[in-house]
Amino acid sequence: MRDLRNRPGLLTGRLSTKDSSLTFALYALSLLGALVISGALVAATGGSAPDVLSALLDGSVRSPGAWGLTLTTAAPLLLVAIGTIVATRAGLVNIGQEGQVLIGAAFAAYAAVRLGGPGWVVVTGALLFGAVGGGAWAGIAAGLRAWRNVPEVLTTLLLTFIAFPLVTFGLSQAALIADRDTTRQNQLNTGEIIPGTALLPDVHLFGNAIDSGFLVAIGLSAVLAYLISRTLLGTRVDMLGYNPRAAQRFGVAAGPLSAAVLIGSGATAGVAGAVLLTGGAAGDRLVFGFSGNFGWDGLLVALLARNRILVALPVALIFAMLRTGSSFLAATGVDRKVTEVVQALLVLALLIPPAVLFIRDRRRALRSSNQKTPATAPEAT
Amino acid sequence: MVSVQDRPSPASVAVSVRGLTKRYGDVVACSNVDLDLRRGEIHGVLGENGAGKSTLMKVLIGLVQPDSGTLTVDDARVRIDSPARAGALGIGMVHQHFSLVDELRVWENVVLGERERLDARHARGLVESIGEHYGLGVDPDARVGDLTAGMRQRVEIIKCLRRDPSIVIFDEPTSVLTPQESEQLFGVLRLAVERENKAVALVSHKLDEIRQATDTVTILRRGAVVEDGPTARFDQQSLAQAMIGRAVSLRGDDAAALGATDIVVTEATAASGPVTAPTVLAVENAVFDRYGHRVLDGLDLDVRAGEIVGIAGVEGNGQVELADVLSSLVTLDAGTVIVDGVVVPTGRAGAMGTAGVGMIPEDRHDAGCVLDMSVAENLALASVGVGSWLRRVDRAKNEADALRLIDEYEIRCSGPDAPFHSLSGGNQQRVVLARELSADPKVLVAAQPTRGLDVGAIEFMGEQLRAAAARGVGVLLISSELEEILHLADRILVLHAGRIVGEMNRTDADVERIGLLMGGVTTDTTTTEGEADA
Amino acid sequence: MFEALGTLVSSEALYISAFQFSVLFAFAGCGEWVAERAGTLNISIEGMLIGGAFGAVVGHQMTSSAIAGLLVGAFFGFLIGWFQANLSHRLTANQFVVGLALNVLVLGLTAFLDSSIGFDPARAEVIEVPVLVDIPLVGTALFGRPWPAYLIYPLVPLLWWAVFRTRWGLEVRSVGENPQAADVSGIHVNARRRQAIYITGVSAGIGGAFLVLGQVGSFQAGMVNGRGFIALAAVIFGGWTLRGTVIGCVLFGFVEAATISIPANGYSIDPFILEAAPYVVALTVVLAFATRVRQPRALAQPFIRGLT
Repeated sequence: MRDLRNRPGLLTGRLSTKDSSLTFALYALSLLGALVISGALVAATGGSAPDVLSALLDGSVRSPGAWGLTLTTAAPLLLVAIGTIVATRAGLVNIGQEGQVLIGAAFAAYAAVRLGGPGWVVVTGALLFGAVGGGAWAGIAAGLRAWRNVPEVLTTLLLTFIAFPLVTFGLSQAALIADRDTTRQNQLNTGEIIPGTALLPDVHLFGNAIDSGFLVAIGLSAVLAYLISRTLLGTRVDMLGYNPRAAQRFGVAAGPLSAAVLIGSGATAGVAGAVLLTGGAAGDRLVFGFSGNFGWDGLLVALLARNRILVALPVALIFAMLRTGSSFLAATGVDRKVTEVVQALLVLALLIPPAVLFIRDRRRALRSSNQKTPATAPEAT
Repeated sequence: MVSVQDRPSPASVAVSVRGLTKRYGDVVACSNVDLDLRRGEIHGVLGENGAGKSTLMKVLIGLVQPDSGTLTVDDARVRIDSPARAGALGIGMVHQHFSLVDELRVWENVVLGERERLDARHARGLVESIGEHYGLGVDPDARVGDLTAGMRQRVEIIKCLRRDPSIVIFDEPTSVLTPQESEQLFGVLRLAVERENKAVALVSHKLDEIRQATDTVTILRRGAVVEDGPTARFDQQSLAQAMIGRAVSLRGDDAAALGATDIVVTEATAASGPVTAPTVLAVENAVFDRYGHRVLDGLDLDVRAGEIVGIAGVEGNGQVELADVLSSLVTLDAGTVIVDGVVVPTGRAGAMGTAGVGMIPEDRHDAGCVLDMSVAENLALASVGVGSWLRRVDRAKNEADALRLIDEYEIRCSGPDAPFHSLSGGNQQRVVLARELSADPKVLVAAQPTRGLDVGAIEFMGEQLRAAAARGVGVLLISSELEEILHLADRILVLHAGRIVGEMNRTDADVERIGLLMGGVTTDTTTTEGEADA
Repeated sequence: MFEALGTLVSSEALYISAFQFSVLFAFAGCGEWVAERAGTLNISIEGMLIGGAFGAVVGHQMTSSAIAGLLVGAFFGFLIGWFQANLSHRLTANQFVVGLALNVLVLGLTAFLDSSIGFDPARAEVIEVPVLVDIPLVGTALFGRPWPAYLIYPLVPLLWWAVFRTRWGLEVRSVGENPQAADVSGIHVNARRRQAIYITGVSAGIGGAFLVLGQVGSFQAGMVNGRGFIALAAVIFGGWTLRGTVIGCVLFGFVEAATISIPANGYSIDPFILEAAPYVVALTVVLAFATRVRQPRALAQPFIRGLT
């Protein structure tokens, strides 16, 4: 007869800390399982798993300039993931990052082309516009949730499928973000080339060019990690995710906070879109399908990181390696889409250990407390 | 004390338990328990919370497997590994809560969990015929969610009797009933025993209920049988002594916990709470609809500083919603709440707490704690909603505060960092109590505060509520345990159908009149006769 | 404006494609409805459609038979349902996370296999119901379809019967409303929830197979393109009733059809509006109906014994 119940946060089931070796073994086994399945898949379609692995490593770290590109690619993934993590910790299910990234990129494209002034002003403006765009797009879902309690899991999804034609529409209108240079061929549904002044500068390190978008992502991650772990905001977010009724009773109003968090997660996704555009990793201009699954993949990074911002960094790097590495797959004769399969398998595999540990802990808790338990016991004779 | 002296012919024994033992980890829930349920007899199983009576009953209906011991049903050795198996053996149980689905109709609920083909007409007919047979009339097509608590229990009973069990277990059946409805229920039990020659087990922690309704009694303490025999052999005093394990005066807290109401009411403790003390909590004309039902219907009440006001009433008459309003969890459709002279907006996050309303909630896991946070964090919950979101969490201070409160309230845990969910129920309750009392509330609301606690914890809770009142806190005690209210409250309000239907001072409290009021009988005219035997 | 509308409603092509889309949505939506009545907000419905579509070309490739295509499609849908059900209602992983990962996996896997292997076109025969097919305007739309479309006619009443007239259905409804009570009554809550998802998988798998066999004629990565989520919206639109869900599916079918028929009839509307229309309508409809009706109480809430 309650409207709400303690709702266990998304994937935040408690982990047993006692049996670290068991935990480790479970994770290792699951990951191994995912990799074995991936290898089998490659083999089944006529490829060679060692060749694929080697090509992936070549493409992501070993070839010249590769790891710089990998770090550059990791930036938008990490940005999407950290926003998602905060939303998930607050008990929200934002799964519309792909659309938020795209809208963010579109807003950033407008700013990059239309804003004048020195380069740093334009770049900052583009990033801010990206944040506003992504935030506004998630804000629609936030508003509907606040107004009529429409589940955000559905609205964020539907909004993604509206974002695509919307941006395409923008790309057809000269007043918006369409290419105004009519002398070019095929300018239909493409944006204007981002001027060089509006591009995020590269950092050069050991012959690798790393886009400074990566630094933006690292910086934002640090800020969010601090806010979550050290400030009242973090406590409130966690409280809302763990027990919204207790939050309400102790002065944390679910409405404004979840709206803010949802908008915030959209904004980081929007920044990811802006970084994607001004970092130059995804081409020199906005085109149809520009977001290139960065939103979906960033979401998967968040899920794999089990809602810990600091864990999201290595996971984002692994996903980025799969992305940059996949461009070297052509030589092995294996379709690059295999990396998407690997990513999804990794996510599914990592769902299993916490679930198994959770069930085991609960069984134990039930057994030691005075509650019913489906234990089997032999009858004494 | 396990005796076989006055046992009738063995043929009448329906269920026999011998040497049953069940351990949960280190805790022994049942230790070498013997129990015989005979046909044509109501058998009381008495024990305080945690004495092992529910484990014993769960073994009988197949929800729990014993570690050792034997079960005999109708002289045949059996193994009961599931509720379905129990049902096949003719054992049925009437649960106290949680076995009905509100959205389904009565007949659908009655046949839920069976195996055979769904036959609506047959099921409706069954509901009607069983209802007629036992005087448990209920409309088979009504939505269960629309029924009153008493009617819902009828559905539970029909659901159990529908399988025509020869052995029926009633688990604490009276907590949702008025005293009058309880009488009626005992009438049904008697009918089942006399007319159908069924064996009935009545599980209870209330002494008067056991004495009133049972023929035989088995008393459990710490998982072991300490006494058994014909109920007539025991008086209130000896039942209580067996149950608790020491002599009790039946004048103190124990008595209330045990439901020995008749003695407590005559007790005249000098109550605090002078009439002139300022009003610290006033609820005026509160109206609240939930799912289209009016659950608070013009509720008025006030609590003065230093007094304990008890809200008596059958569960489901607005208690939960009243507590929710005072926890800022719901917004009233009409009416006002005034705390210490200031109108507090309802439903605004944290407003009641900030205004000085402390709350010991009925279900602490609902809004009283965050299971996944630490003890220290749970003790500091009230500070989370206050101040700028950028403020740093003062961990050192939280930890120091927690250490002090852990000490002061004797909370058993591994330290301030212990996860809250690792604490036992009693210690979780202490954390809640420590947090609410240390905030110096003006009003303390205690909703069913002793539910699920053992006698020691109940005593502790009673002491704390009294001490709070003595410090000038206005205490509002919402309880469906009439005894608890009669024992603790200075003033008693009776809640029925979302409004206060009666008010009296403890000194002129009259159980029968309260009972009638709880059942919705407005009684200003019918009070006089019941007073003498209270 | 009115003239345009007139041309549109008198166009036979509109009814044909509206019916085609409605059937697709109904296979997915009515299946999803069963899972939701049991308490699962099953977002892997999208993956089930993709899996069903892929299964259709696999089955067809192996046997050159549309029937085999349909069966393999239904089986692939079931397989995805099996993973969803067992990960979320046996291993207690979060149902949204599982659904999401499955969607990504199925999308990637089918695209990978499709490009690695390559499949022939696969179509089911058109079966015309005599006489009825000659009804003007809607005859061909309703009675001159590829045969898998007709499966929706028995499927909807069958699902209704299963949920409202069988013991299994009673138990499914009870675990969606109050799993604790169902558990105490002796019902295996998570088993019922898993079974409900299997049904969703089979139904949506048939839907995906229909998309290939009865509509497109081949498998293309991205051919489902979020239509599973529209089916999800149809369930909400229908207020978690089967009748409402079917009405929602037909409504969305017409919206999808209009996006094709409007340009086909020579009216120019920005393609952006047309492409976004189904999703905008879904969003609006969800907004309008979200609070009017009561959803199953335990929707999207996991059941773990002992955890309230």
